[in-house]
Amino acid sequence: MIRAKSAFLSPLLLAASILSAAGPTSPTPPAGTLKDMQEAYNGESNAHANYLAYAVKAQEEGYAKAAALFRAAAKAEEIHAANHAQVIKSLGAEPTADLKAAEVKSTRENLQAALKGETYERDVMYPGFLTQARKEGKIDAIRSLNYAKTAEAEHARLYQEALNDMDGWKGQNATFYVCPVCGYTSTTRPTAKCPSSFTPSSRFLAIG
Amino acid sequence: MPPIPGWSGLHPLIIHFPIALLFVAPLFVVAAAFWRRHRESWSLGALALMAIGTFSLFFAVATGEAAGQLVERTPQITASLERHESLAETGRVVFSLLTLAFATLVLVPMVLKREPASWVRQTATVVFLLAYAGGIGHLTRVAHEGGRLVHEFGVRSMVASPGPEAAALGADTTGRESRDDDDR
Repeated sequence: MIRAKSAFLSPLLLAASILSAAGPTSPTPPAGTLKDMQEAYNGESNAHANYLAYAVKAQEEGYAKAAALFRAAAKAEEIHAANHAQVIKSLGAEPTADLKAAEVKSTRENLQAALKGETYERDVMYPGFLTQARKEGKIDAIRSLNYAKTAEAEHARLYQEALNDMDGWKGQNATFYVCPVCGYTSTTRPTAKCPSSFTPSSRFLAIG
Repeated sequence: MPPIPGWSGLHPLIIHFPIALLFVAPLFVVAAAFWRRHRESWSLGALALMAIGTFSLFFAVATGEAAGQLVERTPQITASLERHESLAETGRVVFSLLTLAFATLVLVPMVLKREPASWVRQTATVVFLLAYAGGIGHLTRVAHEGGRLVHEFGVRSMVASPGPEAAALGADTTGRESRDDDDR
C-alpha cells in the first residue's frame, strides 16, 4: 500500500520540484540587505539634494555657517550614496533613487527637519540595516552602513549645535572637513586620521 | 575545517604574534649575553624574533584598521579605538627602530669579522635592553587598549561570515556586546 502510494506521489513531487526550480513568472523583489541598501541609497540621495537646497536658503537668510554645514553634510551624503551604490552593484543590482523636490522652509525649520532625518537614520534605520547585514555576513554593506551611521551621528550633533545657537551661526563664515572615504564631518581637521575610516587627515575635503 | 576569515576578520588572529614574539626576543638577548659560547646563535635567534614580530606588527595595524571600520561607534568606543590605533602606529615605528638597532649590533661585527671590545658590547647590550624595555612598556599599553575594546566595550571583529544558518538562528552579530573568541 505504501509502495503504491509512493509510486503515485513520486511523479507529482518531481513535477512540483521542476516547476519550483523554474521559478515564479514575475521577478521577486529584492529582500534583506539588498533592499536595505536600496532604501539607504534613496535616503542619502534625497538628503544630498535637500541639504544643497537648504544651504542656498541659509545663505539667503545670512546663516553662513549653517549654509557651510549644509554643504558639508550634502557632500557627506553624496559620499554615502556612492558607497551604497557600489555595494548594491556588488550584490548584482542597479542603485535606484526616487528623488523628490526639496521642501525648503526657514533655516530653523530646515535644521529641525535635517536633525529629525539624521536622528532617525542614526537611531532606527542604520542600526536595523546593520543588524540585518551582520546576520547575512555582508562585510562591504556593514562597512558602508557603519560609515554612514557614524557620520549621521556627527551631523545630528552639529545640527543640534546650530539650533541651540542660531544667532551665533549667523553671518559667520566657517569651514567643515569631510572625509572623502566615509563622509565623517568635523569642524576641525583630525590630527592624524579619520576616526571612522582611518583615512589620512590630509585627504579631508575642506568645505566652506 | 574552520572558515577562513577575510581581511577585516584577521586582526584577532594576528595580534598575538607581535605580542608573543616581541616579549620573548629580549630573553634571547639576555641569553646571548650570558651564554658566550652560543652568543651568535642566540643573537641571530633574537634578531629573527624581532624581525618577524615587527613585521606582524605592521600586519596587525593594517588588519586592525580594517576591523575598526566595521565597529559600531559610540563616543567612548571611538576614543578608545583612536588611542589604540595611534599607540599601535607609534609601536610600529619604535620596534622598527629597535630591530634596526639590534641588527646593526649583531650583523656589523659578523660582516666585518671583528669583535668589539667586551665592555663596548656589554654597554651596548644594556643600553639596547633598556630601550627595549621602553618598547615593551609601549606594546603593553597598545595591548591594554585593545583589551579594553574587547572586554570593556564588547567590540569584536567579524572573524567569519555567519552565513544563512546564523541568520536563521538570529545570532547576535552586532559587532558589539560579545567578545572575540580567542580573547575569551
